[in-house]
Amino acid sequence: MASLNTFGAVFTFAIELEAQLSAYYGGIGDSAMAKAADKRRKKLERVRRENVVEITLEPIAGLDADDYALDLSDGSPDGQAAAARIAARFYRDAAPKINVRAAQRALERCGKEHGG
Amino acid sequence: MSRAVKNYVDGEWVESGATDFFPVHDPATCELLANCPDSTAEDVDVAVRSAKAAFDEWRSTPVLVRAQYMHHFKVMVEDNFEKVSQIVVREHGKTMDEARGEVRRGIESIDFAMSVPVLMRSDGLEDISSGIDETTVRQPAGVFAAITPFNFPFMVPLWFLPTAITCGNTFILKPSPQTPLATEFLFEMLDELDLPEGVVSLVNGGVPSATALMEHPDVTGVSFVGSSAVAQIIYETCTRNGKRVQAQGGAKNYIAVMPDADIEASVKNILGAAYGCAGQRCLAAAVAVGVGDAYEQLKDELAAQVAALKVGYGLDETTQMGTVISDAAVGRIESMIGQSEGEGAEVVVDGRDFNVSGYEKGSWVGPTLIADVQPNTVMATEEVFGPVLSLMKADDFDEAVDIINQSRYGNAASIFTSNGKHAREFKYSVNAGNIGVNIGVAAPSASFPFGGQKDSFFGDLHGQGMDSIEFYTERKIVIERWV
Repeated sequence: MASLNTFGAVFTFAIELEAQLSAYYGGIGDSAMAKAADKRRKKLERVRRENVVEITLEPIAGLDADDYALDLSDGSPDGQAAAARIAARFYRDAAPKINVRAAQRALERCGKEHGG
Repeated sequence: MSRAVKNYVDGEWVESGATDFFPVHDPATCELLANCPDSTAEDVDVAVRSAKAAFDEWRSTPVLVRAQYMHHFKVMVEDNFEKVSQIVVREHGKTMDEARGEVRRGIESIDFAMSVPVLMRSDGLEDISSGIDETTVRQPAGVFAAITPFNFPFMVPLWFLPTAITCGNTFILKPSPQTPLATEFLFEMLDELDLPEGVVSLVNGGVPSATALMEHPDVTGVSFVGSSAVAQIIYETCTRNGKRVQAQGGAKNYIAVMPDADIEASVKNILGAAYGCAGQRCLAAAVAVGVGDAYEQLKDELAAQVAALKVGYGLDETTQMGTVISDAAVGRIESMIGQSEGEGAEVVVDGRDFNVSGYEKGSWVGPTLIADVQPNTVMATEEVFGPVLSLMKADDFDEAVDIINQSRYGNAASIFTSNGKHAREFKYSVNAGNIGVNIGVAAPSASFPFGGQKDSFFGDLHGQGMDSIEFYTERKIVIERWV
């Protein structure tokens, strides 16, 4: 997946991002952060399911998955901070691209939880 | 040989007595997914007898209990949301977002059916004469059937089934033989609900089973969604056989774009309206009428964006437009594009001979944009049911409305404008059953009737909303005097 050019592409990317983060935090022994990421993943799955509006599906431009690649090999505090920054940036960039307010709000909230 | 889809009759999965089968392909990969039986009149008769036998007990099941089944049903669909969406993509060829959107709208119809305990209530009046009271009650009317199309294989059956049975009727579904797999899964979920035998039945097939449903003396009413030619046949056959009928037909949906519209935002929405589901929906935008200066702006902006749409396999989340349903559809659509070209229109973006790498056997038509379409030509008058948007010019608002009202269809029409007066005039004077203002797909939510006028609808009561409560119930007047 490169260009995040649909509602589903954006949300599926976000869901996978949180799944990766949950595994990452779990791997470095931070169960609270792992649980928080998993909670966001579940919320994003629900939002993707409940807020897809068939009559206003429109192409999305200007978002590319490669710009938000996480380096999950670095479990140091700096590595964790870098991952959070990338996640926050993704949510900040993605939210305005979504034309359903409830879905947009969910992305904004995720971004805030990553410190964005 | 691939597996044969079964019918669901009297609470069990049963094999049809069919000798003929329709192959069900994934239209992107051409993989044979299943074979759909062309069920017989005898198959239908068994289903109708089961539905009729179930009716008395089901109608006396308390309405709150009937509605409770819908609560459980909704939970099941939510739990299987992604699975259903993927089935829709595989048998239809649309994108994942479109499939998810379809399933979502299907769930809205289940939500609506949960309101039946409120919506079936009636009214009354005391003392219409001395000591005499009069009330109306709504009662379920019997066995209903629906004949549904390929383009929304999960959603359209749910326009009918949940409300019909929650009102206390029994119900038989005959889905399109091109896309029987989403409805097969729908019935797997219904089977898990443990409804009484005969309350819901599934009979797969084509013309013989549809005809048998329309002619069966124990079927009370039939709902249909499909082409206008078939809708008219359905309407005539059902009325001749004394049935209620609601037959939603085809469309040629126009969009007027005024010079005062936000062109960039309008084009974004028009792209979805015209090319969503590869144009295979009865609310697809077919013709955009650019008014005055809007025409050239619209043409330039659309030309750039249409060509950039990503066409591909629907299961890839980044696909923005999928396949059409079959190679036969490809041939028909390409022929219409050719005819339009021959009539002097300009094919600005040509989707003929389109292919997608890795899916060379798929049924592809690329997004197509045709400009300078004239009235009375093929693209102005005939339903394409494919990813083709035509452009026409109008000097002013009145001419745009005249062009739109010349269509023999009246399913939907939209206007893009920032001028409230034009929006108001459009709503007032355009002869279409669903009107959009700054929205290209004027699809009613489940609590509103799905409009449709002229050759886009045959019948009196539309699907969805309060019309569906009227359609699925009989009103009885009770006049009482106790002395």
